[in-house]
Amino acid sequence: MSLEWVGSVLAGTTSVGVVYLLGSLGEIYAERSGILNLGLEGIMALGAATSFITTIAWGHAVAFFVAGVLGILMGLLLAFFTVSLRLNQIAVGLAITMLGSGLSGFIAFPTTRKTILRALNPELPSTALEAQSAPMLPSAPLPFLKDVPIAGPMLFNHNPVVYVSLILAPTMWFLLFRTSVGLKIRSVGENPGMADALGINVFRIRYLTCMLSGAFSAMAGAYLILGFQPFWIEGITGGRGFITLSLIILSAWSPLRAVFGSLLFGGIEVLQYRLQLFGFGAASPQFVLMLPYAIAVITLSLLSIESFRKRISAPAALAKPYYREE
Amino acid sequence: MFMLERRMDISRKASSLFVLLSLLLAFFVTGLIFHLLGVDVAQFYSTICNVFITPALLLQAVFRSIPIILASLGLVVAFRMGFWNIGAEGQIYLGMIAATGIVILHVSYGAIPASLMLVAMGVASFLAGGAWCLIPASLKVRLGVNEVLTTLMLNYIAMLFTDYLVYGPWRDPEGWGFALSIPFPEYATLKYCGNPSTVGIVISVAVAGFVYFLFKYTKLGFTLSVLGKSSDVAKYAGMQAGRATLLGSIISGGMAGLGGLYVVSGMMGRLRPRASPGYGYTAIIVAMLVQLNPWLILPAGVFFGGLLTAGDALQSSLRLPFSAITVFQSVIFLCIILAEFFRRYRVVLRRL
Repeated sequence: MSLEWVGSVLAGTTSVGVVYLLGSLGEIYAERSGILNLGLEGIMALGAATSFITTIAWGHAVAFFVAGVLGILMGLLLAFFTVSLRLNQIAVGLAITMLGSGLSGFIAFPTTRKTILRALNPELPSTALEAQSAPMLPSAPLPFLKDVPIAGPMLFNHNPVVYVSLILAPTMWFLLFRTSVGLKIRSVGENPGMADALGINVFRIRYLTCMLSGAFSAMAGAYLILGFQPFWIEGITGGRGFITLSLIILSAWSPLRAVFGSLLFGGIEVLQYRLQLFGFGAASPQFVLMLPYAIAVITLSLLSIESFRKRISAPAALAKPYYREE
Repeated sequence: MFMLERRMDISRKASSLFVLLSLLLAFFVTGLIFHLLGVDVAQFYSTICNVFITPALLLQAVFRSIPIILASLGLVVAFRMGFWNIGAEGQIYLGMIAATGIVILHVSYGAIPASLMLVAMGVASFLAGGAWCLIPASLKVRLGVNEVLTTLMLNYIAMLFTDYLVYGPWRDPEGWGFALSIPFPEYATLKYCGNPSTVGIVISVAVAGFVYFLFKYTKLGFTLSVLGKSSDVAKYAGMQAGRATLLGSIISGGMAGLGGLYVVSGMMGRLRPRASPGYGYTAIIVAMLVQLNPWLILPAGVFFGGLLTAGDALQSSLRLPFSAITVFQSVIFLCIILAEFFRRYRVVLRRL
């Protein structure tokens, strides 16, 4: 195992890990405020499909913007059902996941995609209408830093979205744990009744975190197809949204620890491909493909063991609707 | 200013009315979405209606509804005991695997006499589906692991395991390299007992009757319903909550397993990768649509079976992807959840 090999594995780890990281950053805020967004998987898929199409029509920047806006709309839908109507978050989240997956499969289907592309940009050449993959985000290696062994390829030889995500993690940690806004969000998730009595607008905070989670989930999907796997296939997210939800528990609802959780699952995914290159599991790659799901189940179980559970506690009001006693 | 008032109780009639209205709303919203996406909505709906008025297609709808109905009946048991089993899809796959395993045991090793095949396959698929659901249930009972994520993860694992078997050790040596198991001998298919649709209907009605009986007349059923309302009450009443949850989960997953048996033994006659187009997820919508009433699952299941049938027709007539049906289903799901709100609350206009 040469240094270069290690470097390339680590580079891959980061580039997959950012999918998880983006998804978890928004979702941590939602869960800290008491909202479980089980729709993450579907919103991610929708983000991937829309950014796939809008990138071909209008380019990368617009694609991220459009995905973000759609994500916010899905977040609003989630908030309306769970916050205003106080409906069961698991049911609503599942429905949103189905809606997102369905819509993504629908709009990215070759015939519908062509129609949409023509409507978005009539000047597109026919090769673009037929394209099976999106142009990837350009890599922007940082001068000097990229040459540092190990850390260089891992952190400093990527596209700009990776850098932004890596900077967002500590920023969002700071906002959540060191500012009054963060305190408000956390108190709404721990004890909404008390927060309400102290004059915090529980409903407004939860609406905001839902929208944030929606936007980040969709952008995680956009990054998935623009930064990591440019070929569109139906079901492109493949459960990564659900794995994101598991790694948030592993990260104890901290944006900073989510970096490590994301890199862990990113690393598992990269090792899948590498193990297959080594001939391990070549005959039956399915067992290697099961790894992330199996590891998620195992970590969720280990974390539930008494001694661990005491150290990381979920937001007390997670997935519980709040209403004032009238 | 709008205020919400909690309803003390609601008549059956009003409750059904809300569900019907929510279905109408779903038709409207889906139409709107598809109209915006440039689909011929009139033809979309006429294709769907066509399924329910053409006898041959209606029969196809019934046929395709059986796995949904069986899985959905299993979910009734899980949801009534407050166990969020989202793993019916994986439990269906385990049912398929177990049934195919019995066939392979029989054909390759002569382990089971031909006359007992269908019984053995039924028992095996029930137990396999049940065992798959028992994993998240025991993790929940023993360690308190939330079942939502674990049941979801196990779906992916079950699907990949099926892939492994049909691409690997169970691949038919005479199958020209396709990822298919050996074809089942005739006595291992439901054709052996009669028309597969009829057999399916008989099984579904019997299983619905079982679920009805379970909750109406048995102690286990009573314990499960109490558990679903409040696990604390169950604990203080001295009920064996843990044991009941485990038993209930076996029954729940087992029924989905029977759905898997139907897919391989009634529909395909062999095991294939990705043999379920999401029956287990559709089953969740069906169970919620009928508010966990086992008898109503039968017609509701046929409606969703009809949507799947329409999905095939839409692909050929309107050149729409199958996911058009997923969109429709999910909008129905959201509208059903919305109906739940109106069942629970009364919206009143009040001056502050």
